[in-house]
Amino acid sequence: MSYFSLKYLIIFLLTIVVVYIFTPKKLRNLLLLLASYALFIKVSKKLVVFLLLSTLSIYFSALLMNKLDLKRNKEIEKVSKEEKKIIKEKYKSKKRIILILTILFNVAFLFYFKYLNFFKEIINIIFSSDLKILKIIAPMGISFYTLRALSYVIDVYNEKEEAERNIIKIMLYLSFFPIILEGPIASYADVKNEFDKKSSVTYHNFCFGCQRILYGLFKKLVIADRLNQFVKIIFKSYMNYSGSTIFLGAIFYTILLYMEFSGTMDVVNGSAEIFGIKLPENFRQPFFSKNISEFWSRWHITLGLWFKNYIFYPVSLSKPVKKLSTFLRNKVSVRFSSLTMGAIALFAVWTLNGLWHGAGFTYMLFGYYHFILILLGNIFEPLIIKTCDKLKISRNTKIYKFLQIIKTSILVFIGELIFRAKNLTVAFGMLKRIFLNFNITNTNFSIGLDIKDYIVLVFALIIVLVISILKEKNMNVREELSKKHIVIRWIIYYALIIGIIIFGAYGPGYAPVEPIYADF
Amino acid sequence: MKNIMNNVFKSIIFMFILLVLLGILSYVLLTNKENVKKYGINVVSNNEILSEEKNTIDVIAIGDSLIYSSISPMILWKNYGFTSFDCASAAQVISDTYKELKYGVETQKPKVVIMEADVLFRNPKKVPWYYKFTKIENYLSLFHHHNNWKKYLFSFINTNSNFTKENIFKGFKYINKTKPGTNFNYMHANTKKYVISDENAEYFEKIVDLCNENDIKLLLVSFPNMRRWTYSKSEEASELAKKYNIEFIDFNKNQDLLNIDWKTESRDGGGHLNYSGAIKATNFIGEYIKKYGILKDHRNDKKYNNWNEAYKYYIESLK
Amino acid sequence: MEKLIEILEGLNPEVDYKTCEDLVDGRHLDSLTILALISEIEENFDVMIPTVEIIPDNFNSAKKIWKLIERLEDDN
Repeated sequence: MSYFSLKYLIIFLLTIVVVYIFTPKKLRNLLLLLASYALFIKVSKKLVVFLLLSTLSIYFSALLMNKLDLKRNKEIEKVSKEEKKIIKEKYKSKKRIILILTILFNVAFLFYFKYLNFFKEIINIIFSSDLKILKIIAPMGISFYTLRALSYVIDVYNEKEEAERNIIKIMLYLSFFPIILEGPIASYADVKNEFDKKSSVTYHNFCFGCQRILYGLFKKLVIADRLNQFVKIIFKSYMNYSGSTIFLGAIFYTILLYMEFSGTMDVVNGSAEIFGIKLPENFRQPFFSKNISEFWSRWHITLGLWFKNYIFYPVSLSKPVKKLSTFLRNKVSVRFSSLTMGAIALFAVWTLNGLWHGAGFTYMLFGYYHFILILLGNIFEPLIIKTCDKLKISRNTKIYKFLQIIKTSILVFIGELIFRAKNLTVAFGMLKRIFLNFNITNTNFSIGLDIKDYIVLVFALIIVLVISILKEKNMNVREELSKKHIVIRWIIYYALIIGIIIFGAYGPGYAPVEPIYADF
Repeated sequence: MKNIMNNVFKSIIFMFILLVLLGILSYVLLTNKENVKKYGINVVSNNEILSEEKNTIDVIAIGDSLIYSSISPMILWKNYGFTSFDCASAAQVISDTYKELKYGVETQKPKVVIMEADVLFRNPKKVPWYYKFTKIENYLSLFHHHNNWKKYLFSFINTNSNFTKENIFKGFKYINKTKPGTNFNYMHANTKKYVISDENAEYFEKIVDLCNENDIKLLLVSFPNMRRWTYSKSEEASELAKKYNIEFIDFNKNQDLLNIDWKTESRDGGGHLNYSGAIKATNFIGEYIKKYGILKDHRNDKKYNNWNEAYKYYIESLK
Repeated sequence: MEKLIEILEGLNPEVDYKTCEDLVDGRHLDSLTILALISEIEENFDVMIPTVEIIPDNFNSAKKIWKLIERLEDDN
């Protein structure tokens, strides 16, 4: 399934919107839930059982933990300070057992559907055994809804979140049809109040939602699908092309990925907006980042936050890591100790981040590539600051910042090349050609694209760039637009719609990009 | 309330202007403005044959959905080097089949015409109402022809290739689904007697005449169809063919000709072949018309180079 | 409080900690720097900062960090 398909946009979404308008407020969430499950069953059929199991597991374990909290608070009331600590510890360990069991239960499904084959493959390589690799079809969006499920139970465990009694809301939290396939990985705190609003489909919400969906379609159909003509050929037969052409392919793929994924998010957030539900944003102009770690706080934001909250800090502040850091702090230096702590946590984060994107060696390499870049960035930062000060280079000039952005982008291009490559051999083969056969004069632009395609691409990219710059300057582009005169607004809408229909790279001869993140 | 009405009114105006704009642009971007005169007659996509270069198509296939599901012109090109085109539309009535052929011979000089026998039995009064909606496509053909902007915009830039990607399927519709057919006894299960109406027979005669005038070899074919074909239809069609001395290939009566595996080679439970079924049928037809010895293999002819190019895109599109 | 600002300046000297209100949201403190900050705070103020407390809201200004430290000292 793809959110860009007419089946989703015209048939599914529009039907739900119409039915929603005539549904009484009380039943609105139920309607959204039914629609979400209908979509899930349409795609994944019997596998809906696993979604239900995950939902029930987090629902009940959260309630159970909540009950323990209440009991503990009662016991604590009347006792002395020392006893309080003991009681707290007692309940904490009980809750921890529930938490761990729930996590294991959910991760086990994820492991079975996504990683069992990869695991077998590794065992086969190491022990040269012959475990059978079976084709396993995973429930739709399992990587996304499992992370959402885990964030909810962990938050309840930490008493950051109250246990939800209304099971419809928890079911909707995991299965809500706009977010089921590709996120955003919203936390429960992000959406619970949104679900409570049960707002009507207002004219304003409807227009704003449709606008956003159109912008997503524009990014995907005009830019991503057009670039795909070039990209798919380069990644399939890179041996025939010069290093500079391959590098161009990496740039195009990165743009494609951004347009595809952020375009999907526009459709997703736009769909939810029609129902008055505001979802967290997944992108904040990532290509204006000055270093890799900043890039990851602007690209797939909700995934980054998830790893930060549930892996990075818990690992770096875990007892063994803390012990080590105290030891290093006393023996070596504060800086070295915090760097080591960070490195251990980052290593965990990027191992899991790589694996989350896919069970394969290229994804692991993709993860470690970023791990090393971020670590190096942190190690050398003081050195760079010192050097700049010595050479009297101001780090606040526009040129310096621009160069930083270029540097970051180039590093990202290489990362995404690894990400897209079919296997490690291809990835290294392509990188080798980029570094050894780089010949600017021998760049082949005309692979699957002609001059007129490039003209359209440049225009389209300028539009996206201008909108991004305005957003970066904290301007709410859509609000500004809605203040304009109706004639101007309509001209813009018509231009956008007709632009998509005419310049969209669809129909015979074009192969659309498959929903990339939906497979993770 | 006033506010709501206001918004509804605005939405309607918005949609209306949008449709008008799409209609205008559909006209502007038509490859061949000649198509306009066929407005209201049948689906614009069939008339794509008018966008083909003059006198380059040697084989025209006419009829209903069985044609565009069974004959892939690109496979005929790849395997035999014949240039062909499917001029077909869903639930076509025979009067339209005749018109299709007429447009076909206006710009092309086909040597062979393949006609699907199913249209002989379709009652023009009983075509399901929803097929009328396909006519909307005539006015909003933009979705079909959108890529033609390359012909009209920035025309000062010469891209060295007049090739447009829009017609690489040459009328064929690629639908790769599989839904097994199980009604194995279909030829005999339905004992209802079917007759070809006088009106339909008249149109058939017109088609035969048109072929004779243009020195075209007409071949009547009944492609595998569990859903609607019956023994009685086979008898009727074969009698009619005999009357005009036309060859008739009946894949339903002679199932061993193709040996269709209904489990894997139908897309809708026996009503139409899917892509792997179409490959079989196309190759059979290719082999058959090759024996006539009147068709040229154009594969190495430079003039037909854009067919080779189209084939590349065709293969890409199947992925 | 002064001690805290001293620590912060040691980590990233380019910010005016008396006025800055978006240390985390404005990316003046990235996650690795926050780790270093946590070790420093734990060392200097003899508190334990649990994972749950590491949310932008607790670290967005020097004042807020100071409040967090005071709160944790009370808990002890």
